Order: sequence, then structure tokens, then C-alpha cells
Amino acid sequence: MSDHKNDESSSTGSVPLHGLLAEYETPWQLVDASKKVRDARYQRWDTFTPFPVHGIDRAMGIRMTILPWIVLVAGLTGLASAILLQWWTNSFDYPWIVSGKPLFSIPANVPIMFEMTVLFSGITTLVGMLMLNGLPHPSHPLDLKERFARATDDRFFLLIEASDPKFDAKQTRALLETTGAAVLDEVLEDRVTSDRLPKIVTYGMIILTTAAMIPLALAAKARYTKSRDPRIHLIGDMDWQPKYKAQRQNPVFDDTRAQREPVAGTIAVGDLREDDHYFRGKVDDEFARTFPFQLPLTQQTVERGQERYGIYCAPCHGLLGDGRGMVTQRAESLIDSGRGRGMAWVEPTNVNQAHIAAQPVGQLFDTITNGIRTMPAYGPQIPTEDRWAIVMYVRALQKKNGAAAAPAPAPTPAPAPPTQTPEPGSNAP
Amino acid sequence: MTSKDRERPAKSDDKKAQGAASETGPSSAKKSGTSPEKSARTALGSLFMKALIVSLVCLGGAALVGKAADDGFRRFSYAYLTAYMWGLAIVLGGVFWVTLQNLVNAKWSVVLRRLGELIAMVAPVMAVLALPIVLPIFSGNDILYSWANHERVEADHLLHHKAGYLNPTFFLIRFVFYFGFWTLLSRFFLKQSLEQDKSGAPAIMKRMQRAAGPGMILFALTTTFCSIDLVMSLDAHWFSTIFGVYYFASCVLAINSVLVLAAAWLQGKGQLTADVTADHYHDLGKMMFAFTIFWAYIGFSQFMLIWYANLPEETGWYNERFHEGGWLNLSWALLIAHFVIPFFGMLSRHVKRNRKAISFWAFWVLGVIYLDMYWMIMPQYGAEHPEFGLMEILSWLGVAGAVVAATAFAARDKNLIPVKDPRLGQSLAFENI
Repeated sequence: MSDHKNDESSSTGSVPLHGLLAEYETPWQLVDASKKVRDARYQRWDTFTPFPVHGIDRAMGIRMTILPWIVLVAGLTGLASAILLQWWTNSFDYPWIVSGKPLFSIPANVPIMFEMTVLFSGITTLVGMLMLNGLPHPSHPLDLKERFARATDDRFFLLIEASDPKFDAKQTRALLETTGAAVLDEVLEDRVTSDRLPKIVTYGMIILTTAAMIPLALAAKARYTKSRDPRIHLIGDMDWQPKYKAQRQNPVFDDTRAQREPVAGTIAVGDLREDDHYFRGKVDDEFARTFPFQLPLTQQTVERGQERYGIYCAPCHGLLGDGRGMVTQRAESLIDSGRGRGMAWVEPTNVNQAHIAAQPVGQLFDTITNGIRTMPAYGPQIPTEDRWAIVMYVRALQKKNGAAAAPAPAPTPAPAPPTQTPEPGSNAP
Repeated sequence: MTSKDRERPAKSDDKKAQGAASETGPSSAKKSGTSPEKSARTALGSLFMKALIVSLVCLGGAALVGKAADDGFRRFSYAYLTAYMWGLAIVLGGVFWVTLQNLVNAKWSVVLRRLGELIAMVAPVMAVLALPIVLPIFSGNDILYSWANHERVEADHLLHHKAGYLNPTFFLIRFVFYFGFWTLLSRFFLKQSLEQDKSGAPAIMKRMQRAAGPGMILFALTTTFCSIDLVMSLDAHWFSTIFGVYYFASCVLAINSVLVLAAAWLQGKGQLTADVTADHYHDLGKMMFAFTIFWAYIGFSQFMLIWYANLPEETGWYNERFHEGGWLNLSWALLIAHFVIPFFGMLSRHVKRNRKAISFWAFWVLGVIYLDMYWMIMPQYGAEHPEFGLMEILSWLGVAGAVVAATAFAARDKNLIPVKDPRLGQSLAFENI
């Protein structure tokens, strides 16, 4: 389709010359020719081969590309953006503690830093390569040369553009003739094909970009508008389950209540807790002064209490019971270093104080079970027997620390075994 | 349809481009010319003698210093294990590298493959060098491995639970299997390759490729379990499923560095001068660079999961390495010296194509691999601060000397490249761009 037009225009001379095209049969001929053109100091010229030819860069005198530097900058930008993004979202704009880690915690941020570095580098490599190569390039005068199609098959081409400052129709032709070109041909400017992107591509990209905005626009709209419509039910089976829920109506029963009462006197497994002394630490509504008989008064119990105390109590009350646990020390160090942000801290009670030591065991048990002041209830977390074991260990602590002689809880009416004080320390005064 | 690149098209390697081969020229000088071959023999022979003497003197010296320390060879065992795992990384890297080149039918690396095959053949020597570590296990000596002591295993619930795997008998079976397999695989590749030197039959190449697939699978398993047995089980309570991959990263780093140094040394002696080009160094450098990142990636993957989950049975291992003072500093040093510095150091293509520059980084990488081994093994010794003394240096030199001596001994009467490999021409003409 093009040759006809070419012939016509070359004869009339109305279409300007684009360049001179030399065709070679072997890659090494092309490499040799390239060296000659390079040494003749041409600037606007190029070679075309069906496959990459080794050594052609040097033969053409191509400089090292600056793409790696662009990519390095892009990679570092990606790294910096990842750090900024994670710092801003998680520790500045909306501080949120995850898994008890610091608000800005480098190890947790590394995967994103890595990914963003790779993402920025990768995209920049592709886009930078295209831009440095002047791509996309929708049309080229060479497209009109039918012979040139063999550049994708078995021929090697060299084109010197007429716009080159050194270009001279005769001299350039003479130079190329010395390189042993199989065919030497003039290439005329392309006046047929537009060098713009096809309209369909341009419009297609505009439409796609616009379409990509729609979900974002809808989401943005939803944030700032109110609606009375019920929410969308995506999974009906989950939203409407064929069952009766508590506090709803059920026509099957006379009273139409969906929630049925258990048979009178029903007690759930493990819920029978009649023994006031054991479960509530009370005898006749007074705090018990003795340990319940269910608790074996042995060395093992005290050791169990010591272990449980270490787990549940020591963080705040300290291993010595003096209220100097790790939590206290941490809070104080935060306040001292000014990082406490106006935080206040009340030291937990020193359990060795005289008035605590004077409390009946039942009261200690009650405090552990239900909590007191800022201390939360540990009843749900620690089994009853262990709570008693802790009480026993606290008594041992008080004794060892010489807390104003706890009145030996001996005089009590309970039918429990007589021995009250455990003898783990055995170094009692 | 047509090439529209207005700018200069980028070139990469291609098999058809034999035109470029004329620049390097398929020289097989060492085969035809007699003098280079002779000088190679002399150079390798003297290298063997020197390395052997260094190795024997240093290993003997390390043992003497270990005895003088009068701690029942405790410190020596750890120092020696550190050096040994460093040497094993090179040799296992060699086994892996040769298997890989055959597996993927690599063409660029043909001129270097013989060097890899020779290094892989050090595997049986490594089995012998392992004796000071392995033999004490059978006398119930628990200096290194607590699971070797029956009483300790009985007293420790977790060790007792793991005893089905961590016991001396099963360990021996595995040990024999690991080294038997590595020796057989390396022997196979070297033998076939030497046979091709004579006959040049392309069928031999195919045979090696067929063996490479199953060989690679078994290599992955044996290396993983060997690193678990020899290093991870030092702290028998601790476990990390990625541990084998972490050690493997060191293996690949080590072999690529050693190949750079071996080729550079031979070229310094006037060998392979026309055969190994900047493009081969470039590719080895790329592998070193890539696996520097890979090492950091794997090391961080191991650390981050444990750090995030924060489970005591997993964090204990890191806790020992993050002790304020010496060990924490060492951990930071490892991160910076093993990743940050070489990452930027080897980033540039000019560095990788420069023989001297990439040799420097090869030395650096081999150094930090030792640091990594030290970081993995030495905290188990239980010292308050990292200690680096005569015992460590002598063990390190001893193992390094043994690896060099064994390689030089194997190489002294062989061609240094597979002269009749059908892909040799492509490897000689190989260009990155």
C-alpha cells in the first residue's frame, strides 16, 4: 500500500526525505557498519535487528542509560512513602495499638517498606524505559517500507536520519556504500499515517480512568450522606436463619416466648456453689477467719499459691507483695521520662501492711474474687481452690516480712482442720 | 510488526549472536598449549601444599589451644563447629550450584562449572572434618548437643518428646545419608563431566540433566535437615521451620563468592584469562547481590514471625542474641555488615564487572557468612559477651585451608573447564548486554 505512494512522491519530490536506510545480510556486517557511522560522528541514527546483537552497543557508541539512577531514586521514594504512610496512619493520625507492639514499630513496618520499594522501582523501570525510548510511538516512516518488515525476520537495517546535523545526501550515501550494504534506500517522511495515538486508544483510556473513579466516588459519597434504606443483604442465609432467637416470639408456646425457662431447680454443671465459706469466704455473713476444710493445708498448696501469685498478682503487687511490681516500675519510668502524657499512677497496695495482715482470710479471698477499687475481679480467671492457695501464700508473705503480727486466725468456730498457718517459710520468728 | 524503537534498542544475550564471539574468541588454550597447562599444575600443586600445611598446623594449633583452655574442649567445640559450618556452606553451595547449572541447562556458566564440580567434591573431606563434632555425640558428650546426653533427655520433658528424632542412632543414620548423598552426587557430576572431556558426547550432558532434578530435591531435603541437626539442635528446645532455607542462603552466597575468588586467583596465575570474562564475574556478582537480599529476606521472615507472635518458646533463641551489650551489638553488626553495606556496595553494575572490586566483595561476603555462623552458634556456648580468640581464628583457617587444599588436590590433574561441553562456545561468547 505504501510503495505506490512512495514512488509517486519521490518522483515529485514534494515529500521531504526522512533518512537513508541501509540493509545488511549478517549481524557482523551491521556491527562493522555501525562502527563506521559512529566514527563519522553521526548522532541521529539507529539500527534494527530481528534479535539482540551482542556488541552493537559499543559499536554504536551508546552511552550507559541513566535509568538505574532514576530507579534508585524511585525505590528510595517508595521506601520513604511506606515509612511515612505507616507512621502517619498508625501512630499519628489514628494511634492504634496492635498486638501490644509500640505505635511505630519498625519490624512490623518492614514488609510494607519492602513491597513499596519494589513497587515504585518496578513501575518506574517500565515507565522510565518507555519514556527514555520515546514510546509509545504510533507511527514511523519506516513502516511504509515493505522491505523493512524483514527487520523482524532475517535482515539487519541501519537508518541515518536526514535531520542529523552531519547528514548530507551525497556524503552519507557514499559512507554507507563503503559498508557493503546489500540495499541502500531513501526513506521519505510519512504523510499518510498520523503519528498520534489512535482516537479509540485515547478515548478508551479516558473512559477507563473515569470508570475507575466511580467506586471511589461512591465510597466518598457514602461517607458524607445519610440513608434510610436498609443495608444490602449480601448473604441471606446468614441474615435470616430459620431459628428462634432469645427475647423473640415463638407461636408454638402458649406464652409465645422463644426463650424457655429451665425446669425449676435446675443447676448448670459446676454451678452448685452453696458452700459460703469455700466459695465466698464468709461464715454467717462475716468474713471467715479460717481456711475452708476443702483446702489441704500442706506445703504443696502454698507452693501452688506462690506459683499462681507469681502469675496473677506479682505483675502489680511485686514478688515481695510490696506493690513494686513490673507494672508499677514501668508506669513510674514512663512518668519520670516524661513519656506518660499526663498519666497518673497509684501504687498497688502493699499486702504486708498491718491492716491488711489483720484482715480475715475470707476478706482477702473476697478481694481477690471481686476486686477492690482499681483492682479488677479475678474470680472469673482463677479457680476457687487457687484463690485460696494465693491467700495462703499471701499470709506466708506477710509472716515472712514481719507484717505486724497477724493475729493468728486460730480462734474460730469453723469445723475446719485446726492448722491455720502454713509453714513453708519455717523461719517465722 | 516492525521494530519502532526510535532510540537505540537494548541488547541482551542471544544464542544466535556468534558474531560477537569473535571479540573474545573460543580459546581453549590450556588444552592445546602445553605451557599454560603445566603452569596450572605447578600453581595448583603449590597451592595444595601450602593450604594443606596451613590447615594441619591451624587445626592442630586450635586443638592444642583448646586443650590448654582446660574446659573439656568446650570452647573448642563451639569454635570448631562455627568454622565447620562456614566451610560446609561453601561445599554445599558447590553441590547446589553444579546441580542447578545442570538442571536449568545453563550456558553462561559452562566455563566455571568445572570449578564448581571440584569444590563440590570436597564433600567427603567435610564428612571427615565433621568427626570432632559427631564422635562425641556417641559417648553421650553433651558439650554441643544436649540431646546426646541420655540423662538430660530423661529429665527434660521436651527433649524426651523429641528423642524420637534427636537421638544418636538416628542422627548417625541421617549423617551417613547426607554425606553419602552429597558425595555420590558430586562424584557423579565430576565423573560424567570428565568423561565428556574425552568423548565430547552430548548424551552425557543429557544424563547429567536428568540426574539434576531428583538430585536437587534430595539436596533441598538433606541441606535443610543437616542444618537443623548440626546448628538448630544446639538449642534443642527451639525450632524454626525456615531455618534450613536460612542456612541455604549462606550456601549460595558462599559458592558464588568462592567461584569469583577461584577464577580471579587462576587468572592471576595466567589461567582462564580469555575464558572467564567480565560478563561471568557480572553474573556471579548478580547472584551474590541477589542472595544478599535473599539472606536478609529469609532472616527477617524468621525474625518477624517470632517477634510478632512473641511466644516464649520461640523468642528465647533471639533473646540470647539480643542481650544488652555484646550480643545485641553483634546482631546489629550482622544486619549492617551482611545486608546494608554489601547491598549498596554491590548495587552498581561497574562493581560487579570489575574483577578486583567483586573479589573484594567476595572476601567480604565470606567474612560475614562466618559472622552469621558465629551469631547462630556461639550464643549457645553461653558466654556473657561475644569472644573471638585464637581458637576461633585457628579453626577458621584450618577449615578454610582444608577446603582449599582438597579442591586444589582434585584440580591439579584435570582440565579447569569442561573442554568438550557442547555449550562451551556459548559460554565463552556470553555477554550480559
